Amino acid sequence: MSDIARDRLFGVGNAFDHPVVLWVSIALVALLIAAPLAAVLLRRTGRIDDAHFRELLLRCLSWMVLAPLMIGPVLLGAAWFIGFVFVIMLLCYREFVRATGLFRERTLSGVVLLAITALGFAVLDHWYGFFVAIPALAVSVIAAVAVLADRPAGYIQRVGLAVFAFLFIGVGLGHFAYLGNDTGYRPLIVWLVLCVEMNDVFAYICGKLFGRRRLAPNTSPGKTFAGGVGALVLTTALAALVGRFVFDQTVLAAPAHLIGLGLIISVGGQLGDLMLSSIKRDLGIKDMGTLIPGHGGLLDRFDSLLLVAPAVFHYVRYFIGIGLDQPARTLSGG
Amino acid sequence: MRTWEYKPARDLGLAGHQRWTSVRRESGLDDWLIQSIWWNATRLGLGLMHRPRVSGLGHLPAHPPFVLVANHTSHLDALVVVASLPRRLRRVTLALAADDTFFDSRPRAAFAAMCLNALPLRRHRMGGHSLDELRDRLVGEPCGYLLFPEGTRSRSGAMNPFKPGLGMLIAGTDVPVIPCRIVGAFEAWPPHATQPRPIRSASTSGRHCDSTMLPTPAAAGNR
Repeated sequence: MSDIARDRLFGVGNAFDHPVVLWVSIALVALLIAAPLAAVLLRRTGRIDDAHFRELLLRCLSWMVLAPLMIGPVLLGAAWFIGFVFVIMLLCYREFVRATGLFRERTLSGVVLLAITALGFAVLDHWYGFFVAIPALAVSVIAAVAVLADRPAGYIQRVGLAVFAFLFIGVGLGHFAYLGNDTGYRPLIVWLVLCVEMNDVFAYICGKLFGRRRLAPNTSPGKTFAGGVGALVLTTALAALVGRFVFDQTVLAAPAHLIGLGLIISVGGQLGDLMLSSIKRDLGIKDMGTLIPGHGGLLDRFDSLLLVAPAVFHYVRYFIGIGLDQPARTLSGG
Repeated sequence: MRTWEYKPARDLGLAGHQRWTSVRRESGLDDWLIQSIWWNATRLGLGLMHRPRVSGLGHLPAHPPFVLVANHTSHLDALVVVASLPRRLRRVTLALAADDTFFDSRPRAAFAAMCLNALPLRRHRMGGHSLDELRDRLVGEPCGYLLFPEGTRSRSGAMNPFKPGLGMLIAGTDVPVIPCRIVGAFEAWPPHATQPRPIRSASTSGRHCDSTMLPTPAAAGNR
């Protein structure tokens, strides 16, 4: 393994070299301290009741665990980040198959699990050719393996669910993990996660302040047009503002590109959220899991990233490339 | 084309410990992997220590539902019976284990659920609802149960009277009950011993019977 690759995968010495990483990390620590204090203040002044206070506190506590878990691997090195996203992919997949009932199809579940593992390897290896080949191969293998059971009843549903699970979770989050192969992966990932998370917050706040007309009453009754438009404007502004530093001295630093990326993140994030809501409504369940107190399952937390990550990945790759100056096939040595 | 039908896991929404101690628990791919490793290791361990002789496998049904019942003198009993089953039946067999012994702490519950694929049997507060839940699962999934109708391990090695739960569990269904006889487990690991001794054991499966051949709940309760 070359020194460049080793430094990217395991180097921690330059974790805070980029100003975006440094300032977002400081802001995150400040927010994690300030949020529970604000909740206590709101309760003491009587602005919120006990139940609301407990819910807020539970969310703050969850974030105190989640935030270091999310930012920590990015700071430690690309190998840690890719490993972390791989574990998230497996846990999200577990939630999906248990919610849809696909887990009872053990062979198909196993094939999807193998395909996700292969994706994880392709990402860690920085082997783009294999990374883009896996989806096509996986879909063919899933469809073929399902035939071997000689059980045509329900074939379309089984194969459809397995392919959807793989593309939805494996490929969606796989693109997010692949960002770790870029030399400047830290600011890129921090910027993307910041915009996606703030997109949710902006939608929530704008919806609470100005929301009247519902966006998709049958899918998610809590979402409003005002929330959606507010998130679109504010997230685009945030993405452009912070992105100016992330994409400094590249073609993507042009305002048109930054606005384009902001729109992709905001629209993709909101559609990802609505997509998971549709799945849950169809299944008749409230949350996909119970792993994160106050949030539900991991998929409930990472739903916005599922559509955003591939879109942003290919936008950035098309204009400036991802990991072009990094040695490819670091493990397999091609 | 059939109408699409989603059947989320019965235990969806239950967190960690709740899931292990619930009769709604359903094994996923991760549990199945752990159980495969556990039962293969158990078969190896039993083979080396007790060299169990298994007979009567031809009496086992081809597919679930079924209830295996056996005499109970040792913690080895469930291991010997389940490990001797063909893999296709082992995967669908759930041992009904006493909740106050196997599910009274988190580590024990995790072990019983994830390795043994056991379900908790509330033997001191078994109500009609609990039995209904178990029966619905037995017939609806369908699956197989391993049950020790004496209710607890025999302290003398001799068979004790049956509790009424077995008859109540399968009453009104045509689920076959397969009696199994375990020999040598008491000598190998009696209730008063802390660890097993390497003594040969044997498991024999008999012809199946159904609920009409069992004592009625009232009669069984009077014994």
